[in-house]
Amino acid sequence: MRRQSVETLIAGLDAMHPERPFRVMNVCGGHERTITQAGLRSLLDKHIELIPGPGCPVCICPEEDIAQAIHLALNEQVILLSFGDMLRVPVFSHTDGPRSLLAARGQGADVRPVASPLDAVAIARANVTQQVVFFAAGFETTMAPVAAMVAEGVPDNLTVLLSGRLTWPAVAMLLSNDEQAFDALIAPGHVATIMGSDEWAFVAEQHGLPTAIAGFHGESMLAALQCLLQQRSDNRAQLVNCYPEVVKPQGNTQAQQLLREVMAVSAANWRGIGVVEGSGFTLRPEFANANARVRFSELTDQSSFTPLAPPAEARCADVVLGRLYPDQCPLFGNECTPRHPIGPCMVSDEGACRIWMSSGMRSVDESKSTPEGV
Amino acid sequence: MTEEYISLAHGNGGRLTRELIDKVFVQYGQHPLLDTVNDAATMSLPNQTICMTTDSFTVQPLEFPGGNVGSLAVHGTVNDLSVSGATPLYLSTSFIIEEGVSMACLIRVVKAMAEAAHKANVSIVTGDTKVVPKGQGGGIYINTAGIGLKKTHTQFDIKRLSAGDHIVISGPIGDHGVAVLLARDEFGLDSQLISDSASVYPFVEAIDTIDGVKFLRDPTRGGIAMAMHEMAQATNLSIRLNEAAIPLSGQVESVCNMLGFDPYYLACEGRVVAVVAPEVSEEVVRRWQACTHGQNAAIIGEVLPCQEQYHCPVSLVTHIGGERLLDELEDDPLPRIC
Ligand code: SF4
Ligand code: SF4
Repeated sequence: MRRQSVETLIAGLDAMHPERPFRVMNVCGGHERTITQAGLRSLLDKHIELIPGPGCPVCICPEEDIAQAIHLALNEQVILLSFGDMLRVPVFSHTDGPRSLLAARGQGADVRPVASPLDAVAIARANVTQQVVFFAAGFETTMAPVAAMVAEGVPDNLTVLLSGRLTWPAVAMLLSNDEQAFDALIAPGHVATIMGSDEWAFVAEQHGLPTAIAGFHGESMLAALQCLLQQRSDNRAQLVNCYPEVVKPQGNTQAQQLLREVMAVSAANWRGIGVVEGSGFTLRPEFANANARVRFSELTDQSSFTPLAPPAEARCADVVLGRLYPDQCPLFGNECTPRHPIGPCMVSDEGACRIWMSSGMRSVDESKSTPEGV
Repeated sequence: MTEEYISLAHGNGGRLTRELIDKVFVQYGQHPLLDTVNDAATMSLPNQTICMTTDSFTVQPLEFPGGNVGSLAVHGTVNDLSVSGATPLYLSTSFIIEEGVSMACLIRVVKAMAEAAHKANVSIVTGDTKVVPKGQGGGIYINTAGIGLKKTHTQFDIKRLSAGDHIVISGPIGDHGVAVLLARDEFGLDSQLISDSASVYPFVEAIDTIDGVKFLRDPTRGGIAMAMHEMAQATNLSIRLNEAAIPLSGQVESVCNMLGFDPYYLACEGRVVAVVAPEVSEEVVRRWQACTHGQNAAIIGEVLPCQEQYHCPVSLVTHIGGERLLDELEDDPLPRIC
């Protein structure tokens, strides 16, 4: 998009300056990254608030799943594979054992970062005498290739420790709990690529909130914001797809078909949020051979796992739920930094705290006067 | 011929060490001044001010598109001298080689080193080699030290910086950082990207007679963001960069988007940044654009009075006209790249 049109967009936004706060939540870490890196907040009227929501699969991965992964990794026969972001996520538990996959690796566990299911298959083939467990946490976007891998048939020594989540049920839950949490929604672009934009129509239809699907450039986010503001000033609420080049109403039906074939949907726990109905992917019984929780049922038995409470000042849950901005957590940039993360949101590339830190937003007081400040 | 590998005995000071020096360093790194018999090189220096610098290179992988640890070790030290306003003359080199490195790889590294030195007009006059047991080193580490002759007409001094100065860069950022990153093969990404590793001396020479050129920096580790930080902190001034003006190849941009990196923190090994008086910035750009690899030279920002309201002195005006801070690198998302 041309410079000119950016200016027009901003002028358009200015012209619609809202008189009361207009809180726009995003559900995608990628969007929060775009907003922060483009310095979008510094351009907007102070009444337009851009709130990072539960958009990071690493942040919301429940501690018991990570504990299972650590437990499996500590088994000598096992090579544990995980997306890199997950390695440093700390768990707070009563065990004396390592508190992250990285710490487990420090104690001799064979833990390896992978970038895709293809890597997992390759590693399993190269290590036939060992058990390879692929700890797959992610949203629909990540689950689709995992489903494809399982459907195709995995090597005998490869199993999946699945921690997959559907995004829309969490948003639905936020809306039903607390209707006032936000006034408009920017729906996740990548998820919608797979699942289709129609999946997000309920936000407008049932909850009366303007909704837009946006791409991942500053201009695209501006266009989505303008669309949301326009809806509000017209007193309308509908789903608008501002990323039609990539997102189709029905999504990628082939990927959806694979997901349905391989995975069932059930209630699942979200770190910081709690149990959300219909939000978790589990492997169907036909694929039990590829299910780490079946093959290693004793090792993954978590009936006795009780997470310790995180440090009292840590406000991760509020940040994930969009109730607080990252810099409103007293630990942000102080005790909790990307090097020494206390909560998961400081670890993942899609975690709001990490994104804010790496885009130059620091302590609570200072950030009030940063260009990006809220 | 069977493949040869470095063994611990290559470093024990005995016959194999001698052979290694003769067969590799002398043969492939040859230079008339390289004295492999005596413990110290003797050379004459004109009766003038000299500059000296040293740096160690531990890049992983050892070889990457556009260079290897050997050429990098020459460029790094040559560039440190160049941006200090010196004409690089002599280098020393010291290798720490891990047992098991293949002879062929070592030869490629030494060759690249000799070639880089030749191109940069410097002489490698003395060297040393140690071998460490397998597992105790990352293949090949190289230290180089360099001596250069301080030019009498240059006045590069960070104290000359003042609000209103322009920041000029000689070429696109991040090529080296991304080339090395992708050479590690961890991301399953292919690209045609080549490291920018090169001597920046020609760029320095092209502008060092312009009086308004105040300070030069080669934005290596930490990228242009950290180079700006060092300057801002040393002067108590602020710097604002303009995203739209910063040259960036499409490939670097797309890799950064994919992997979530900020290109402003990625290393360059053949670029130079100049802080210049505003009257001469166009002239600097013109001269740089006339240099090989200088066609993308551009004015990328300006020096401002200290912006006390921000906690960090370096900011970026983004493509869409927003502003954000480029804080000091907090995290270490990247592998070692120099
Ligand atoms: S996977 Fe894509 S859509 Fe989902 S949170 Fe990450 S960036 Fe957003
Ligand atoms: S700063 Fe750390 S402790 Fe606070 S919310 Fe963010 S991740 Fe959690």
